[in-house]
Amino acid sequence: MADSNVATRSRSSLRAAARLSRRDAINLLVVAGGVLFVLLALPSLLTPYWVVTSTSAVTFMIVALGLGLLVGRVGMISLGQGAVLALGAWVGARLLFATALPYPIVLVMTGLITMVLGTMIGLPALRVSGLYLALVTLMLAGAITVVLVDTNFPNGGSGFLGYADQSTGTPPSIRRPSIAESDPAFFRYVVIVALLMFLLALWHIRGKPGRAWAAIRQSEPAALAAGVNVTVYKMWAFALASFVTGIAGALLGSASHVLYAYTFPTSQSIVLFAVVLMGGVYTLFGAVIAGVLLQVIPGAFTVWGIPSEWATILFGVGVLQVLTTAPAGIAHQLPSDLARLGRFLFGVARRRIPAGGRAP
Amino acid sequence: MRKHFGWRVRIPVAMLVVAVGLTIAATGFSKTSGAHAVKAAGLACGLGTGQKATGTPIKIGAIAVKQAGTDFTDIPNMANAYFQCVNDNGGIYGHPIVQDLLTDQTDPGALAADAKQLIETDHVVGIAGSSDIIDCAVNSAYYKKMHFNVLEAGIAEQCYSSPAEAPVNMGPRYSADGATQTAIALHAKKIAFDQSNVPGTQYNLGGSKLIAKAAHVPIQFLTEDAANINGETAAEKEVQAAGPGGAVVLVFTPPVALAILQGAQHLGLENKVIWTCATPCNTDFLATALGSAWNHKLYVNAEMNLISQDNGPNSVLYQKVLKLYGSNVAGGIGSFSQFGFLLGQLAVKGLLSIKSKVYTPQTVNAAFKALKNFKTDFLCKPWYFGPLPNNTDFTVYPQDGKMVLVPKSGCLPISTVDPLVKQVRAYEKAHHV
Amino acid sequence: MPSWSNFQPFIPIGLAAGGVYALSGVGMVVLYRATGVLNLAFGAIGAMGALIAWTMINTWHVPAGIAYVACILFGGVATLLYGMVFGRLLAARDPLVKAAATLGLALLMLGVMNRLWPAQVTRSITLPTDNTAFTFGDASVDWTQVIAVGFGVVMTVGTAIFLRVTKIGTAMRALADDREITATLGVPVRRVEAAAWFGSGLLAGAAGLLLADLVTLASDGLTFIVIFTLSAALIARLRSLTVTFVAAMVIGLVDNLITPINSITNFRDMTPFVLAIAALLFFSRERQYSFARGGIR
Repeated sequence: MADSNVATRSRSSLRAAARLSRRDAINLLVVAGGVLFVLLALPSLLTPYWVVTSTSAVTFMIVALGLGLLVGRVGMISLGQGAVLALGAWVGARLLFATALPYPIVLVMTGLITMVLGTMIGLPALRVSGLYLALVTLMLAGAITVVLVDTNFPNGGSGFLGYADQSTGTPPSIRRPSIAESDPAFFRYVVIVALLMFLLALWHIRGKPGRAWAAIRQSEPAALAAGVNVTVYKMWAFALASFVTGIAGALLGSASHVLYAYTFPTSQSIVLFAVVLMGGVYTLFGAVIAGVLLQVIPGAFTVWGIPSEWATILFGVGVLQVLTTAPAGIAHQLPSDLARLGRFLFGVARRRIPAGGRAP
Repeated sequence: MRKHFGWRVRIPVAMLVVAVGLTIAATGFSKTSGAHAVKAAGLACGLGTGQKATGTPIKIGAIAVKQAGTDFTDIPNMANAYFQCVNDNGGIYGHPIVQDLLTDQTDPGALAADAKQLIETDHVVGIAGSSDIIDCAVNSAYYKKMHFNVLEAGIAEQCYSSPAEAPVNMGPRYSADGATQTAIALHAKKIAFDQSNVPGTQYNLGGSKLIAKAAHVPIQFLTEDAANINGETAAEKEVQAAGPGGAVVLVFTPPVALAILQGAQHLGLENKVIWTCATPCNTDFLATALGSAWNHKLYVNAEMNLISQDNGPNSVLYQKVLKLYGSNVAGGIGSFSQFGFLLGQLAVKGLLSIKSKVYTPQTVNAAFKALKNFKTDFLCKPWYFGPLPNNTDFTVYPQDGKMVLVPKSGCLPISTVDPLVKQVRAYEKAHHV
Repeated sequence: MPSWSNFQPFIPIGLAAGGVYALSGVGMVVLYRATGVLNLAFGAIGAMGALIAWTMINTWHVPAGIAYVACILFGGVATLLYGMVFGRLLAARDPLVKAAATLGLALLMLGVMNRLWPAQVTRSITLPTDNTAFTFGDASVDWTQVIAVGFGVVMTVGTAIFLRVTKIGTAMRALADDREITATLGVPVRRVEAAAWFGSGLLAGAAGLLLADLVTLASDGLTFIVIFTLSAALIARLRSLTVTFVAAMVIGLVDNLITPINSITNFRDMTPFVLAIAALLFFSRERQYSFARGGIR
């Protein structure tokens, strides 16, 4: 009796394992298919306007990835990621003007420098959590924004700040990778960089940091008691988020070729947080949705002639909706909504075609 | 639990519906402003035939900045209002003009994309009515490459130096020059020049610096964070910098200028120094809001004439078009809509001048470039396609709730100490423009 | 280095600016103490009330006094509506979630305001108290500024007394501390909450009106002024009304006193942020602070 029970149990668990890996495999295929489509087919299908907008969308997916990591995995709210993005853009632009290093190296350097800056700036914030942390990061972002308005963004000038108030003629251009000068080529480049960032995040999540973060999010005291070095892992999360956001900043500079301080207002950090919430902070797919929401919707509104205030209204309603009914965001809500829709339609279809000729 | 969930879903949806309802009820469908019956009898728009144009449309593009605190869409919207009037009056030999307007949020990447969208995807035949903080900086090289000659209301330096751009206005630099000249003419002992700290500050103050130096008047340059302006702090700072017997030159958008002037009034500073301002202060609204305490105390360099006191044909037509077709021009009568109206008129004149009646980017842009000798009561001198055609303008000050021309001020030529002005005057003299 | 006569005029200006920060700061901390919600839409609600008052005065030609009352009432009603719907829905959630939801409200209101009151039109509100109260050296102080500071003081003291002495006030404090237990103790939770929301909303409306006169009547400016006032609330660790008030006044003073110093004047706007961060570093020297409904533990 016992033997057959064990056998049945082990058979069913094997079957369960096989089913799980099949679902994983399907997910992987879908994602790979999507990425290939975006890389190969999409640029030629889009107009130049949409190629640029999509490039921004993918760049902001990287930013959303960093913020989503902080919020969803570790439970730390940072309302200052906009400022980290601006910092990354500054560092990237400075390096691109000052050196002739290959683009990928500049990207990594920018990521590392922003990582150090972001962690240093985040250090005081590590001692607090919850709402207090959110407010402090907002304060830090505000301070950085004021400094950036004064120092401006590098534009090929000399000196540490690299800013020359040269308003005559065409402003010097922040360069792009030599293999990806055109807009469609740069779009593909950005998609590949984004992919690498997502893989980096995934590697962390699946590994030891991910487990430590989950423990911290669950309960900080418990994690501490379990021997997790809470401060180090929190710093690590900040560092990773700053790293990817810094790289995104550098990409933004190359995308626009010129940077201005008012492209990074403090309110952007708030909208970013709102949209990341809407997209969903518990899955990587949520970051993809957030990037789309942040850039594609306003972009679409512009070409369709819909006033831009509607995007702001949409985001406001979206945040309220997400927090009250769907805390896991659209990433979770959409599949389950679609499933519910599917069941509803199926039910309607069944009623329309009465079984056995009897009315419902 | 399920009952709760149903309730939870309905509330946000209800909120959205309320918000939508409120907004639609209040603003209506602003896009259909020109769709009412042809009331154009007697309006001298374009050909003035009174017949609705029904041929293949002519697409004219425009880019305008629209973001928190800075919205210049009144300019292309007013140009479009004029286009609608023209369309109700025969159009361009039967062809209606359709405006393709893209708004921008000072995002240089999106701006470059906007320009490409207009020219390469939407295939506009010309661009007229643009007004954006950085469009000229980001796109003028592209416009030149594509052989587009853009009619715009400019701000950045490239709007006045690129051969592909022609402005109807002076922009902050030259208007500030005029304000500085006025301050010097009023015997200011020192000048405090204050502006918003958005990029381009050095360009804006460049002319005033030279003018003050040539007149041996010391000048100090300040900046403010316009988004978080504290009117009193700014006013006090400016007055201290100007010193006794000094003058303050304000280069700000109307709401910020108003905050500063009201701050000055709270502190009783309106009599302490000479107050001057660049064009944005030229609105009756400002005169009304400031009240009689400011009568004759704020000298404004006005790039366009005072509509309320001018019965010239353009001013009259402008008001009629604004009333009939300008429902989405939120600012009403004012410099912005005047710029837009003039841009619309210029575009139409250009289009009507195309003898072949074939409207392609080549013909239209050549026509725009050939525009000259356009007389209008808006301006002191006739307009022509060039880097700074509007280089002589008016001086006004508030009086009992309205802006009025300063008596005996006439048309003020901007000083040739500023290099581009010198260049342009020489060109005008040589070509008898 | 500027002389005393350069600094002197900035003292009343700084105090008035501080009064402005204090209005919003105290209003937000008051609501926080009573409901556990940090209402980040405080500025937006006040802004909308002020814009409604503007429309009533300028478009419908309603007497100004009625318009001002309408503004204040709008603040109360709008906040109450939000509190009754979303406040209740999220009552059991983390303070962070509750605050984030008010961010959603702020964005929504901002969009609606910009739609209904387009930014191209310059608007202003001039209160009848805008005439000079007294002069302080070179600078004159007007009654609106006196009211702003006085209002801040009255709100601080009055609310502190209210929360400590009255039955409803005590109930509010209990509610903020632990909603469930308070409910089981027979306190009419919903009524108390409603009172807290409504009262705080009235404050938001009043603050909006004063700010519209003192600073600007622009939706974006008034909405995001909360970022500055948060710094005062942060220094008080969202607990003490008095510290919020004092911090706000200090921020306003320091910010303005820096103005005549040419070398750092461009960094004036960092003052609230720098002070808040400095306070944070000072307070978290040894301990870790986490945020629970009652305040910092």
